[in-house]
Amino acid sequence: MIKVTRRALTATLLLGSTALAPMLAPGTAAAQEREVNVLLFSMPSTRGLAALADDFEAETGIKANIDVVGQDVFESRITLSFTGGARDIDVVHTPVIQVQRWVEAGWLEPMTAQIDGLADKDDILSGPLEAYKVSGDYYGMPFFAETGLMAYRKDLLEAAGVGVPETWDEMLEVAKAVDSDDTAAIAMRVAPGQGFNMFVFPMIMRAYGGKFFANYPDDMTPAINSPENLKALNTYITLMNDYGPQGIGNFNFPEVVAALQNGQAAMTVDGTSIVSQAVDPAASKFADQFVLALPPGGPAGRSPAIAVHGLGIPAGSENADAAFEFVKWATSTETLSKLAINEAYPDFTRASVAENPEVQAKYADVQENFLDLRVEALTLALGHYRPLIPTWPEIGAAIGENVNAAVNGLMSPEEALEAAEDEMKSILAY
Amino acid sequence: MTPPRASAAMDRTYRRMLWPASLAVGIFAIAPLLGMLALSFTDFHLVRGWSGKIGIHNFLRLFEDRRFVSSIYIMMALSAFGVLAQVVLGTAIAVGLDKIVGKWRVARGIFVVPFAVPHVAVALIWLSLFTPTLSPINAVFAVFGIEVPALLTTQTGAITAIVIADTWATYPFVMLIVLAALQGISPDLDEAAALDGATRVKAFFRITLPLLYPTLLMVALFRFIETLKHFPLIFVMTSGGPGRATQATNYYAYVQTFQNSNVAYGASIAVFLFLFAAAISFYIAKANARLSDA
Repeated sequence: MIKVTRRALTATLLLGSTALAPMLAPGTAAAQEREVNVLLFSMPSTRGLAALADDFEAETGIKANIDVVGQDVFESRITLSFTGGARDIDVVHTPVIQVQRWVEAGWLEPMTAQIDGLADKDDILSGPLEAYKVSGDYYGMPFFAETGLMAYRKDLLEAAGVGVPETWDEMLEVAKAVDSDDTAAIAMRVAPGQGFNMFVFPMIMRAYGGKFFANYPDDMTPAINSPENLKALNTYITLMNDYGPQGIGNFNFPEVVAALQNGQAAMTVDGTSIVSQAVDPAASKFADQFVLALPPGGPAGRSPAIAVHGLGIPAGSENADAAFEFVKWATSTETLSKLAINEAYPDFTRASVAENPEVQAKYADVQENFLDLRVEALTLALGHYRPLIPTWPEIGAAIGENVNAAVNGLMSPEEALEAAEDEMKSILAY
Repeated sequence: MTPPRASAAMDRTYRRMLWPASLAVGIFAIAPLLGMLALSFTDFHLVRGWSGKIGIHNFLRLFEDRRFVSSIYIMMALSAFGVLAQVVLGTAIAVGLDKIVGKWRVARGIFVVPFAVPHVAVALIWLSLFTPTLSPINAVFAVFGIEVPALLTTQTGAITAIVIADTWATYPFVMLIVLAALQGISPDLDEAAALDGATRVKAFFRITLPLLYPTLLMVALFRFIETLKHFPLIFVMTSGGPGRATQATNYYAYVQTFQNSNVAYGASIAVFLFLFAAAISFYIAKANARLSDA
């Protein structure tokens, strides 16, 4: 008797746990309905998009399961999904920085015909859209284009009797005049990473005429150890170490934002989403004093940073039609306008959004000419600000780590650029 | 002393009790481990795929790779200083708490709190404490005109900062286990020592500490293996910087696998890490067995 009971108990427990599993997995019973699974990483605009999922279902009858996760989780999850051929994701957040690598690996479905078929294709900002073109085909639709701007404290610049720096050489002068014990002159990201210091440092590099490659994309010989890049690196090091706040060597964007908002730094040059937090009256003690302007330039002109994010469709998707419906809806003038109104999102990728009076009113509060400034910076920005090559994540990290080491005095600027050059060569040769 | 021999039927029952765990270990630990081992002999690259090459090339490359070799030094520094700090602090607090009675016993609950904080949150807390512009520590010292140095911009400083954050978050683990061991030591021993004229300090170092030794060894081993797996603290606090000064081996495996797409090479680093941890565990477990037998 006891023996039977014991065996029965074990069996029940084991069976029970397997039988429960399908019940716990949501959505399996409703598989007949049309659905798209969307994987995004967390940004104000993607969180805002997830909040609009019901609008999509109301308009198209397709249910969107939008999953918004942290960037680190996103990367491992999408890598596993791609390499395992899981086909569990119909629409994927596609940063422009990853497009070349993903296309080379055969992970994305081309969407050229669908995009060319859009009646309002001309309304999409062409720089961000063209960045998704790999050997003649589009592999993504941009929904986010951030560019670089400068923020400066007009009170402190006036007090120091200096004007707004137009070039990085002038920035050195201005920083020297503005820097005080109470307020450092300038704070920028220095933490190592292709999306951290390598988002801002190329603005200085390119202003001095520095490049990553001899002549992108025709001559891909590494050219990071050029005299122009050395000049840029020395400028960056002087600005950060002589006129930056204490501890700048490990600053990432949250520390930069805090330093601006708390009055610990008078200037920064960074993405629009960062600089606009300096002029946000709800968060910044000096919102009234900060003014936004184009980033400084140099002998080679101004080169504002650019970061583009879009939506792609994983290769072999069995749900590609519904997936493109979602992409089309998410990047439509209507959806982008809603996002621009609901969220801190001036980074829309359609020209018509800027004609919406509600959008205009909202961003005029940031600064009268904010949207115009953004368009001007976007027009100046190079599509290949960070080179559009499959190995960029690795190359960007290698350069960023050496640049960070130079700022923190672990090696000289010359050594850092030589090391970066060698590492670029070995990455490209491998 | 051997336990009384169980009946054959009971033996079967005991074995059955192991099934679920065996299944879980088999599926979720052994299988991925074998997969990783297999990968480490290939040249599988996330983007380029596998050329068909099989061999020990990844393991040969490891020891020519300066970044890998320096990652081991960084890992060992984080582990050695971290384990030392956690064991000393955890034991000291446990010894204090052990003697506390009455309503002050609530202190036990309070001292456990950091253990419940997720590692990413721990990292964010200490990142702000070590960022001079955000830190209340710097603000307080600034009142007296003292500038506290920025730890996270030098290698020694950044490693110290990670060790401090790790110690803060994990000393309660050491404390709890040592506390449990202390409760198992008879108070008669202390009384006997006192009667024989030993001071409390002497009694602690001559009687309590030797009795705790096997526990301390085990707890240090657990912490050591955990510290080999450092990741969130590095990822959040330093991004591996300044330069590459805090890219410990486990972090470097992540860099190679996910950032550089070198899955096979990343796997070989992970295999090395596994064997390293296994070898040290084996050695310490043997030492422990010798001690317990003695």
